[in-house]
Amino acid sequence: MLDISNFISKAAKMVRTTYSLADLPEGSTGTIRDIDALSPTAQRLLDMGFVPGTPIKAIKRAPMGDPTTYEIRGYQVGLRRTESALIDVEIKPDGK
Amino acid sequence: MANKITTNSRNVYLVGNPNSGKTSLFNAITGERHRVGNWPGVTVQKIEGITDTANGRLIINDLPGTYSLTPATPEEEIVLKTLDEAATGIIINVVDIANFERNLFLTTQLVELGVNPVVSLNCFDSFTRAGGSIDLQKFSSFTGTTPFPTVARRGEGVSSMIEHLSRSEYLAPECCNNMLALPDLWKKAAEDALACQGLKWASATPVQRYNALRELISLKPLESDIKVQEIRRQLATQLSQGREKPVKVIDLACELASDRYRRIEKLIAACATIPGKSIPPWQEKLDAVLTHRFLGLPIFALMMAWVFWTTFSLGEIPMGWMESLVELAGNFVRANVQEGLLQELLADGIISGVGGVLVFIPNILILFFWIAILEDSGYMSRAAFIMDRMMNSIGLHGRAFIPMIMGLGCNVPAVLATRIIDNRFQRLLTMLLIPLVTCAARLPVLVLLCGTFFPENPSMWMFSLFFVNLLVLIFLGHMTSFLFKTVENSPFLLEMPPYRLPTAASVWHMLYEKAMHFVEKAGTVILAGAIVIWVLSVFPREVPLSFNYEAELAALKSQAVTAETTEQIAALTHKRDIEQMEGRYMARIGKLMHPVMAPLGFSWRETVSLIPGFLAKESVVSTLTVLYLPYDEDLGKGMSKTGMNKLSAFVFMLFTLLYIPCIATLGVVWRESGSTKFTALSLLVYFVIAYLVSFAALKIGEALQASNGTAAEAVTIVLVGIFAGWYLLRTLLNTFIGRQCNSCAGCSGCPSKSSDCQG
Repeated sequence: MLDISNFISKAAKMVRTTYSLADLPEGSTGTIRDIDALSPTAQRLLDMGFVPGTPIKAIKRAPMGDPTTYEIRGYQVGLRRTESALIDVEIKPDGK
Repeated sequence: MANKITTNSRNVYLVGNPNSGKTSLFNAITGERHRVGNWPGVTVQKIEGITDTANGRLIINDLPGTYSLTPATPEEEIVLKTLDEAATGIIINVVDIANFERNLFLTTQLVELGVNPVVSLNCFDSFTRAGGSIDLQKFSSFTGTTPFPTVARRGEGVSSMIEHLSRSEYLAPECCNNMLALPDLWKKAAEDALACQGLKWASATPVQRYNALRELISLKPLESDIKVQEIRRQLATQLSQGREKPVKVIDLACELASDRYRRIEKLIAACATIPGKSIPPWQEKLDAVLTHRFLGLPIFALMMAWVFWTTFSLGEIPMGWMESLVELAGNFVRANVQEGLLQELLADGIISGVGGVLVFIPNILILFFWIAILEDSGYMSRAAFIMDRMMNSIGLHGRAFIPMIMGLGCNVPAVLATRIIDNRFQRLLTMLLIPLVTCAARLPVLVLLCGTFFPENPSMWMFSLFFVNLLVLIFLGHMTSFLFKTVENSPFLLEMPPYRLPTAASVWHMLYEKAMHFVEKAGTVILAGAIVIWVLSVFPREVPLSFNYEAELAALKSQAVTAETTEQIAALTHKRDIEQMEGRYMARIGKLMHPVMAPLGFSWRETVSLIPGFLAKESVVSTLTVLYLPYDEDLGKGMSKTGMNKLSAFVFMLFTLLYIPCIATLGVVWRESGSTKFTALSLLVYFVIAYLVSFAALKIGEALQASNGTAAEAVTIVLVGIFAGWYLLRTLLNTFIGRQCNSCAGCSGCPSKSSDCQG
């Protein structure tokens, strides 16, 4: 029983802290957790440093809502939702 | 390809990330000594420069910029294809040290494959200014590369690098414990994969090594190769040791990239201090204003208005000089060369053809002056960021906005401006759409035609023409991006380079290259086209006439001058001119083509007038005026006398607007795309679209005229109108408020919150 409740609370925590990068709110920082390996564009994102464990910050959405600029590894890059939706991020439990 | 290194000439290859300053370095090394060609087999521009040193000549090859050896576009593929050849010469890896980690990824790939590049640590000034430092000795011995700090934009550090390159004995530094080299597990697996093809790591070329590694992490490995599958499984198991989560085979690509970044992080920690905050606060503030939710668009619009105004309004002043110069030259020839074919060829063929090329130069120079400044300052990426959503709604990249908007002034500089789009597919798509943007030169033609055919309310008809034109543009954009979606899978990655002050040198390089390139490449094509059209319009010289006009004219002229004889002379001259015109090749071709155009309701006269329209659309009107002279002095009345009505006039205008871009535009498209196939295909596309749209307009119009209130037809017309309006509105709505979700098939697979998904 204890295990199950532990699992549930863990799962609940995961739901709250895991986002698609496309939904990371402006100004908040997350850590890349996973990237959709099956997408043909994943390789380029990996090569550009979007590897698991890397901190990433959503800087700003464009006036028309897309794309969004992100800061990663000291540089800024704009991604469309099509690309950012491939990346899962985790928001640090201790906030920003 | 065999490499020809003699004692006094050496091949140098520049590789590096986009925005790393590779082109600045190339310019700093070679000055203006460029040779522009194409890479074998592909239509990607190849730029080669030379520099002479005390020890011999260096041939510098500028390879396309890429973030990684794994190509995402045909341009980037060149880097991989040239790698073996490059490894026999010297590779300079340009690394933007202000963006160290990501730039070192490519270096890591090179080092892994056994290539020891000379590393140009570029933008060294901003790195040290921000408080960064690096131990070059350590960097060299930890990576087996030869580093040189450079500031390519100002040419600093370049001379010592050249000096090093030209030394007769070029040796890569010894390195026993390379921090960037492949870890043993991976190297063992790559060796095993190479062994499957009967190759050994030690004797394999860098590309063979690359392919072995690629095979290990590939999403779609060759299924027949069971051995490699086994190696991949083993590798995954070995990597899983000591981890919570086992590594799956499909995660190998991610594992390798992560491993490379871990090595890079370790290397940097061992030999350099990276400034904590790489982006200065003033840049952040500037960015906040320039890409502001509400201010960003107006600021961009103002800048565009300024660029547009200076390019096309201020540009008219030097254009006027050019035109009067051409006129002067023409008059000079007419005055000094004996009347005859040679005089006509010089004055009407060559000089006006050259003039037709030269008039574009002021526009091109002014536009590219601004483009160089926008690009160099780093604003261009922000502009693309702001406009991307809107351009994406017709399948274009945000960077395509500037070329498209410039197309309203003139298509020629607009096509040249597509150079700012890095991705070749996107560039071609933009080039395909630009000729559908109504340029300023087409306006007077439309005004004239609408005024002639619809004197009551020309503006309403002009508006409807624009409306149809816009629909066609959007539709073609949608269609092409839809059809080629599968071909095109390079991700949208818009790097935001730091803001910089543009340097005079880079602006000068841009202008010089653009102007020279245009005159040399496109200019010759435009000139040749102008001469061909001229030849068609004046040959054959002798047209068999139905009547001896000259004798009659001479007889009339010898008589006393009365009102009657002058009128007769004028009438006869007209008649003779028309008969001569009908005999020329142009009219013959037009008549030959007429059956094709007849379904659109054109007479042979309209068909003929379309041919000089290829040179310049305004010639359509002047040709028509001459052809309709026997019927009436007034073109509109003349046309109505021969059976043209308002509907056929509208259809004709529509066709004129769409059927073909002018020869100058076509010339630059051909040169800029570097592909005859693309140019020919796009010509066909315009023609087919013009034909279909005109035909549809004719049929709808006929139905409208014949219907007399028949319900079915009225409904059809209303439906077509509503559909067209809806299509346009939907595109606009999608642009401004809609949240189009491209990435998923339906809401269930959509990664975004369900409220956002309109599936």
